[in-house]
Amino acid sequence: MKKGPESRACPLAAPGNLVESNLDNNSSNGASAKEKDVLSSSQELENVQLKPSKETSRKKLCGYLNKLGIKGPIKTWKSRWFFYDETKCHLLYYRTAQDINPLGSIDLSSASFDCKMENGEGVFEIRTPSRVFTLKAISKQAMMYWLQQLQMRRWEFCSTQNRFPVGSSQLVNEPLAGRTNADNDDFLPLVKTPTEAVGLKAASLPAPQTSTALQNISLKHPWTEIQNTVYNICGSKQLWGNNGHVFNFSEFQEHPENLVEEQEAEMEAGCAVKEGTPEDGRMEPRLNWVRKARWMNSGFPGLHEELSRERNPTDKVSVLQQQILTLTEEVKSQKELVKLLHKALEAAQQEKRVSNMYLTAAEDKDRLELVRHKVRQIADLTSRLEALEQEKKELEQILALRDSHIQELKEHVQLLMEKNHAKQEVIMALTEQMARELSDSLQEANTITAETLYKQQEEIEHLKDDIDAYKTQNQFLNSEIHQVTRLWTSVAENEKALLMKCACLQARNCQMESKYLTVLRKLQEAVPGLPSSHAELVRNLIQEALQWDVKEEAEEGFNLNPVSEYDEYGFMTVPDYEVEDWKLLAKIQALEIKSNNLRSQEVVEKPLRDKWNSVGELSPSAELKSLIRSGIPVEHRQRVWRWIVSRHCSHLPDHYQRLLRQSKSTEHPACRQIELDLPRTLTNNKYFSSPTSQLIPKLRRVLLAFSWHNPAIGYCQGLNRLAAVALLVLEDEEFAFWCLVHIVENIMPADYYSDTLITSQVDQRVFKDFLSEKLPRLMAHFEQYRIDVSLITFNWFLVVFVDSLVSDILLRVWDAFLYEGTKVIFRYALAIFKYNEEEILRIHDSVEIYQYLRFFTRMIMDGRKLMNIAFNDLNPFPMKLLRNRRSVHREELETELCELEQIKAAYVKERAEQRPQDLQEVASEEEEEI
Amino acid sequence: MMAIRELKVCLLGDTGVGKSSIVCRFVQDHFDHNISPTIGASFMTKTVPCGNELHKFLIWDTAGQERFHSLAPMYYRGSAAAVIVYDITKQDSFHTLKKWVKELKEHGPENIVMAIAGNKCDLSDIREVPMKDARDYAESIGAIVVETSAKNAVNIEELFQGISRQIPPLDPHENSNNGAIKLGKQTSQTG
Repeated sequence: MKKGPESRACPLAAPGNLVESNLDNNSSNGASAKEKDVLSSSQELENVQLKPSKETSRKKLCGYLNKLGIKGPIKTWKSRWFFYDETKCHLLYYRTAQDINPLGSIDLSSASFDCKMENGEGVFEIRTPSRVFTLKAISKQAMMYWLQQLQMRRWEFCSTQNRFPVGSSQLVNEPLAGRTNADNDDFLPLVKTPTEAVGLKAASLPAPQTSTALQNISLKHPWTEIQNTVYNICGSKQLWGNNGHVFNFSEFQEHPENLVEEQEAEMEAGCAVKEGTPEDGRMEPRLNWVRKARWMNSGFPGLHEELSRERNPTDKVSVLQQQILTLTEEVKSQKELVKLLHKALEAAQQEKRVSNMYLTAAEDKDRLELVRHKVRQIADLTSRLEALEQEKKELEQILALRDSHIQELKEHVQLLMEKNHAKQEVIMALTEQMARELSDSLQEANTITAETLYKQQEEIEHLKDDIDAYKTQNQFLNSEIHQVTRLWTSVAENEKALLMKCACLQARNCQMESKYLTVLRKLQEAVPGLPSSHAELVRNLIQEALQWDVKEEAEEGFNLNPVSEYDEYGFMTVPDYEVEDWKLLAKIQALEIKSNNLRSQEVVEKPLRDKWNSVGELSPSAELKSLIRSGIPVEHRQRVWRWIVSRHCSHLPDHYQRLLRQSKSTEHPACRQIELDLPRTLTNNKYFSSPTSQLIPKLRRVLLAFSWHNPAIGYCQGLNRLAAVALLVLEDEEFAFWCLVHIVENIMPADYYSDTLITSQVDQRVFKDFLSEKLPRLMAHFEQYRIDVSLITFNWFLVVFVDSLVSDILLRVWDAFLYEGTKVIFRYALAIFKYNEEEILRIHDSVEIYQYLRFFTRMIMDGRKLMNIAFNDLNPFPMKLLRNRRSVHREELETELCELEQIKAAYVKERAEQRPQDLQEVASEEEEEI
Repeated sequence: MMAIRELKVCLLGDTGVGKSSIVCRFVQDHFDHNISPTIGASFMTKTVPCGNELHKFLIWDTAGQERFHSLAPMYYRGSAAAVIVYDITKQDSFHTLKKWVKELKEHGPENIVMAIAGNKCDLSDIREVPMKDARDYAESIGAIVVETSAKNAVNIEELFQGISRQIPPLDPHENSNNGAIKLGKQTSQTG
């Protein structure tokens, strides 16, 4: 019995162990069981290869699998040999392939198979109504093989059970097999047999598990384990013994009682030897043994049936011979068993001798001792039995507890399954409902779509009609707008023309009026010498004219051409003259400017404005020069002036601020004169006329800064006007300062504004030269009436026409002046005379001429005309000539001044000599007076 | 028919004393606080009856700032009279007046009628130049002296009337504009 574990390594007792194995292959006599098995398996392999479809069903389904032990606290995998019993459709499992008695069986006919990938590779389950078996194949492929095979076998069994009587071993059913295969094709291709893991060949191999052998021992079936061990030993003996005791099986069958007795006796001996508890430990295993034996017998009839079935054909002699051989071997093993029994008998006899020894014990004392010993032993055993029974009870209780727990869990599982089922049903219901609703809504939507489509189409038709209607309406309205616009344009043009005409007429009217007033004034002057009636008439007329004037001015308020009071730079358009005839003159001027502007607006101003708008970056060029000469539009003037100023003056940063600080800390001698002139600067401009004007402090700062910037000049009357104009256009104080610097230091010749104003005087002489050159008739006229034009023109040059020309023309002159220089002053001064040449020539009185010259600059209304004269009619105007004349006249003037000084000195000397006499004379006269 | 005599008159004096204002008041009977400073010169005329003559004053108003003095000879050349104006509130202007008188005596036309006008007499409460000083000085040079106010039109007409009277009546035997009449005679006439 101690050889048990070793026996697994022993050659396999094929016929006894694998009851269902292919008997055809067990023919090789004398060869070791292992060899036979290898042979058979290799043959089987060949069969599989040669005719797989036919032999698949015949092939034995067996192999090692790991079974998950469900009993016990720790679930462990145990290696088991599985074998499929075709007749009952049971899957039997053994500890090893060599074992004769299975540890358990699984009824496949009512089982289901399952594999769950999450459990691990190769793990699958067989579910029977009573239990779930968790099994594990060595690989996934093997698992699939097992599952497929099991399925197939189950199917085969079930189908054959329906066709044939139970127990029929006719398994080959080709259509069925084919169908099975076909069915398999639908799901999974037939898995190739994993030869290393299944089949009979696998039985020869050690169990694939690496765990200890002890682990594989079934704790659940200890008796079966023992039995198998015993059988293995017997099997070995049979092999060794070579006595054919085939009939032992039949004997077992016929006399099961005997066998039981025999086995019982054997086991009694075995147990005594093994456990040393022959009496007590025997009871249960014996019962098991009996059960097992019966079960074994009930499993055997299949063999006999098969044998009988195969005996029926007459030509199966060879088969029978082989069987005889097998049986012979069995007989051998039976003999071995007999030997074993003999040994057991010997052991019994040994015991009997011991009893006899006791009986024959010499003294009672010894006997008593023995009995006592036995009694003690018995008591000990009894107590041990009680303990064991106690333990058993406890275990039973635990078992019951576990069972109830299992029951609970099962119930729970059941519950969960039910729940799951319910949920599935709900899901199904919902899915159906959803599907139904989906289809419903789709249908609904379709119908709605159709309806709305129809409606929309109708609507579209309506809209199309509307569109057509609107189109025609639109076309009509367009033509209407076009026509009305044309009408309006023509009306506007007419209006414009009428306005211009009106302006012209007004201007002419005013001129006439002024002439009439002039006549009246002259008459008034002559009143003393007139007859009284005439004088009266003249006085009445003057009175009337003045009242009419007032009345007319009131009407002017409703004039279609209201002349705005101030222009863009704040200059009064109609200077507020106090004298009546001047008032009229001013009015005439304003009206003429207006009519001029109206006339030139479309023809000249607009294209010029467009040109200016297209000027981007400023750079000196002939084109820019001519553009500037035509005058810079108001919106561009500041930009251009700033550009000119910054081009010529290197703006020293902080210079202006420094000068301002200086002028704050120290009072400049020119300060008094500046203060005196500030309120008297550009009195016809609204930004300067008011003493609270913001430009006045600015102007003060600019002039003070300049007086510090250029102490040689300091402040000269007239600079205030230059700075004021610069401020009006440039706005920025510092820019205005630099503009002033630009004019005084860059444009004008040196000493223009300094102490003696010598170059200013020189320029007057130069100008006279130009005048006699360009306007000889006029110059002759002036000479005839002893007119000194420099009395008039001096300030034109000094302040660049400020307060002489109307602002509109003035700024155009300044545009060109700032860009080109002093020549522009000469050009314009000459142009002014040329503009009025004829008028002047008509006057033949020096005072009248002077009177006229005093105002004639303001009478110039046509800036374009003046510009054309200045830059076209007066050409050529070479700068070189101007320079030469300047230098010549400067020399002359300096010598003159020098002579004058000499004369002065001489006069002073002479006076000094005469003085006493003069003083006497004066004194005498005074005395006389008194 | 009354004879018209043209009399060239120039106005001299320090800056801002009111030369232009006096002219403006005399010619236009108008006063402007902020009349533009005269650059170079300004020209105006006014005809005033004087006796049986009409005197047409050709008035040349000059610039007051000192640096314009060099231009002055252009204006006082050929003048029958010169109005030299000072500001009674500014001692400096009286000093400048003296300089002008001196210049006229040195370079001015012979026998030029000089009239001293102490302007801004409306501001006598801030007076700097006493009336007596002016009178004494005028007497010393044989000039007319009068305190005026262009603003309030005080003594403006009188100033020019005084000049008119100083101008000798036109000698029918002489065509010369420049009445070569001795100062002494004229003063005796006025007196």
